[in-house]
Amino acid sequence: MVSQAVSTAAARAVDARKTYGEGDAVVHALAGVTVSFPVGRFTAIMGPSGSGKSTLMQCVAGLDRLTSGSAFIGDTDISTLSKTDLALLRRDRLGFIFQQYNLIPSLNARENALLPLTLAGREPEQAWFDEIIATVGLGERLKNLPSQLSGGQQQRVAVARALVPRPDIVFADEPTGALDSRSGAEILTFMRRAVDDSGQTIVMVTHDPHAASYADNVLFLADGQIVDEMPEPTTDRVLDRMKRFEV
Amino acid sequence: MRTLAWRGVRNNLGRYVATLVAIITGVGFFTATTFVSDRVISSLEGDVDQQYGNVDAAVVLADSTADLSGDPGKDLKLSARQADRITSVPGVDGSAGLLTAPVAFPPRRGHPSAKAATGRLWIDDAELNPLELTSGRAPKGAGEVAVDRGLAESVDLKVGSRVKVATLAGAFDATVVGVTKFGSADALDQDGTVSVPAAAAFDWLNSGQREYQALYLRGSVDQAQLEREIKPLTPEGYTAQTGEQFLTDQRESTGAIGRYLKQALQAFALLALFVGAFVIYNTFSVIVAQRLRELAVLAAIGATPKQIKRSLRLEGLIIGLLGSALGVVAGLVLTFVLIAVLKAVGVELPGSGIKVGLAPVVQGILLGTVITFLSVNIPARRAAKTEPIEALRISAVDATSFSRRRKITAAVLVVLGAGGLVAGGSWAAIGFGALLLFVGVIVAGPFIALGGARLARPLMKPFGLEGRLAVDNVARNPGRTATTANALLIGVFLVTLVTAAGTSVKDFAVGELKKLQSADFIITSEGGSIDPQLQADFKRIDGVKAITPFRRETVTIDGKVARLSSGDIPAIQKVADLEFARGSAADLQPGTIAVTEADGGPRLGARVRVTDSTGKSQTLRVSALLAPTIDAQQIGALTAEPTFAGLVGRTAPTVAFLDVDSGAQTKTKDAIEARADQRPDITAEEGNVTGQLVSSIFDFVINAVNGLLGMSVIVALIGIINTLSLSILERRRELGLLRVVGMLDGRVQRMVRLESLVIAGLGTFAGIALGLFSAWALIFSIDRIAEADIGFSLPIGQTLLVLVLGLGLGLLAALIPARRSTRLDVLEAIQAT
Ligand SMILES: Nc1ncnc2c1ncn2[C@@H]1O[C@H](COP(=O)(O)OP(=O)(O)OP(=O)(O)O)[C@@H](O)[C@H]1O
Ligand SMILES: [Mg+2]
Repeated sequence: MVSQAVSTAAARAVDARKTYGEGDAVVHALAGVTVSFPVGRFTAIMGPSGSGKSTLMQCVAGLDRLTSGSAFIGDTDISTLSKTDLALLRRDRLGFIFQQYNLIPSLNARENALLPLTLAGREPEQAWFDEIIATVGLGERLKNLPSQLSGGQQQRVAVARALVPRPDIVFADEPTGALDSRSGAEILTFMRRAVDDSGQTIVMVTHDPHAASYADNVLFLADGQIVDEMPEPTTDRVLDRMKRFEV
Repeated sequence: MRTLAWRGVRNNLGRYVATLVAIITGVGFFTATTFVSDRVISSLEGDVDQQYGNVDAAVVLADSTADLSGDPGKDLKLSARQADRITSVPGVDGSAGLLTAPVAFPPRRGHPSAKAATGRLWIDDAELNPLELTSGRAPKGAGEVAVDRGLAESVDLKVGSRVKVATLAGAFDATVVGVTKFGSADALDQDGTVSVPAAAAFDWLNSGQREYQALYLRGSVDQAQLEREIKPLTPEGYTAQTGEQFLTDQRESTGAIGRYLKQALQAFALLALFVGAFVIYNTFSVIVAQRLRELAVLAAIGATPKQIKRSLRLEGLIIGLLGSALGVVAGLVLTFVLIAVLKAVGVELPGSGIKVGLAPVVQGILLGTVITFLSVNIPARRAAKTEPIEALRISAVDATSFSRRRKITAAVLVVLGAGGLVAGGSWAAIGFGALLLFVGVIVAGPFIALGGARLARPLMKPFGLEGRLAVDNVARNPGRTATTANALLIGVFLVTLVTAAGTSVKDFAVGELKKLQSADFIITSEGGSIDPQLQADFKRIDGVKAITPFRRETVTIDGKVARLSSGDIPAIQKVADLEFARGSAADLQPGTIAVTEADGGPRLGARVRVTDSTGKSQTLRVSALLAPTIDAQQIGALTAEPTFAGLVGRTAPTVAFLDVDSGAQTKTKDAIEARADQRPDITAEEGNVTGQLVSSIFDFVINAVNGLLGMSVIVALIGIINTLSLSILERRRELGLLRVVGMLDGRVQRMVRLESLVIAGLGTFAGIALGLFSAWALIFSIDRIAEADIGFSLPIGQTLLVLVLGLGLGLLAALIPARRSTRLDVLEAIQAT
């Protein structure tokens, strides 16, 4: 059911291919991936190391270009956009969370969270901002610089930054990869709530079966191709599926 | 460790580029200035050897620098009789008399226009003759001349050309029979040499008198013996020297210009190197900070602090040697460029080619290497002190904090320095104060950087987030910002100091000189006379009110070369500033003299012995003293007509004061000069020209010094480029992140430019403030100690110019780093570690 909701896709890729290198050394990071990420859903991407998870996310998010095939954000074919247009698209319609070093060291937590809006010259909606800050529990830390925050707190700021502008879609590449399990669980809870409460679309790359269990749907990647998907995942089922790759 | 150091250099070569550029620039400037001045020195000294190499004894003016302006010593001459007595001394094999006077080529139809040159008595003794014939033969009979190669070209002459030569005695028809050169140069004289044979020289160049300005001898006996023998025959005002003494003196005085030039140029080059040291130090600091993690791994696997330190020092040494060697090569190229540029703007340096001496090469390499080595020491020590755990924890961006001790040290230095500068009791104390103040400001750099960033924050508001982040980056590492800005500060400080202090002294000097009255113009004839026709011509010029000629001769008074004048005193007083300090015009009876009042000079009532050029002498009583005005310098000493005639004979007037309508000076100037130009012996000089001359000399010196200080500013520019580039390298992840969340490349670049602007602004503002304060304090102290009253004049225009240039430099420096800041792919940037 989920994979058929093409008309309401927040982002999608059609026969996406990405190759690195030439001749004998050629690597097919993506070998023809067709996928769509439905609006208002939390999608996780899993797969063994080197299977092309990050590549897929980066190409769909307009951080990198496909070798062939096309990628869409909503109805916009991003493979035709210029560098500047891509930057504007990212600023106005996308949110990002990386594994670490997400923040600008000289801006405090509040300024970091508001960065995309500041760059766009937009005013934050105060109520919405307060709500997110309350959700991620940063109230007292807003004036602190990143260097004065723990890794988990920094990651909450990053989540807030991704959510505050109400982007069409949030891309997260192993957002909990550098955190202990408790901080990781908190971050995942915030993301889940954003999907449930306000219909936020999220695409998350992860290695962690427990993290994947927070998603609505899990896509499995191997050797640059989508080999499986799992709606309503649980930690154990994902773990079982992953074990099969190792054989 | 050696391999480690090599790897360090190789893997970080990109980062070292700026260090290398700084060393190369500094060492390059140093060697280039040395090469250029060595060439000038050796060519000047070579000229002297060429000219006087065969002289065994010389009879020259005893004290050619005795009087003030106008070189009146030139007027004192040796008569042929005196010369003959000297040359007939046994052991003298050959002799050469020196006689020069201005000549000119009047305009000829179809040829390049007239040209003034120096007429010279042709020296028949081949060994004493400094000139060499390149074609034709030596001039012999009256009407034959030889011209130098340069003149031959510029006035379009060749062997066989018939030409008119204008001389003091009028115009003569002449035939060019030879073309000469002087060593590797065309002519011995600045504007060309016309050689005239003895048959005509005295008539053409010395109004018929057989006289010489100096006498050079070649002998077959020992130089010292020759000198002893001619000594008794040497007339008053002249001195006999051995050839060796003479050559040394000549070499000294001629080469002195070159040696001063060398010292001055090298001082500026060393300054550039010193500024370079800041850049080098900064680069190493940044590189070490960025590599702390790598160094920590080394430490973790067991490298001792000493090994790490040594490895980094070795890296510094390698870079220093490499940069210095390249610098010497760059210096060589720069020398050629410099010479070519000077040539293009019309300054032909004496000599040809460049002699690459071993000394400047070794000096350059040594200096560059030592400075680099010293600059790398502090960062190396800091790196060795870092604990491995600490280093592993540190993020890529290094942040330093500053101790209270530093704050206190800086404050103490600044206060002591400023105090010494303003209240020091001696020049040494004041100089030391200036040094302390300077060091204090350098030590206080990080605090200044922080404070400056705080001040810049509101200014950057209009630029939005970019402005905000730019200031943040400046303040993030105040130490690094300060070192970068300091390199610029040094240059700006010195430029401001030189300009402000120099302008103050200039304004004072010119003001003082303007207070002195003087005649409007002084007309002098060198070798001719101010005849009635000429007087009438000048008087006819619109705006000329009066012309008062007087007679003047060079004599010796008590053995000192001096001017002796005689004329209509009331008439002179009407047009010139001639005042009696003691006595009056009425006291000037026959047998008396009025001399200019001077410390240590003759007093009223004293008796002085006045000797003229033929050796006639007379003892006169000082009956009056002249006030030392500008015009009194022209007059020298004053006697009544009969006394003058008794000493010198009934000569025609050779000098005249000229009075023009007030306000007409500039208008009449052209007309007066045009008339003067028609005769080669006449020069017209503006009376209070001294003021203008002093003013223009000051301006020239200030500009030249500032131009040379530009060298250090160039190095500072490299420093800013360097710091920004490295800081961008270090922040590439952060910049990538900004771009991922939507900062457009244009804005990222603008951020880098603003950052550069703030750093340059810091250095410029601090430099200007320090420079203005130091200039003010210096003037204040000069006034205080020397009891002068030089006012401080603030050169507003120049200061603003420096400010604009400093900020412009900041924008210029940002060009490359700004482009580099967005060169990386967004994706690569955020994946960077
Ligand atoms: N810039 C690059 N140049 C060459 N090969 C690359 C490049 N980036 C990725 N690859 C290759 O493409 C393949 C997919 O890489 P990708 O980073 O998408 O994997 P991943 O699934 O995210 O792995 P991981 O779980 O380890 O992060 C890998 O084989 C990788 O080696
Ligand atoms: Mg990955």
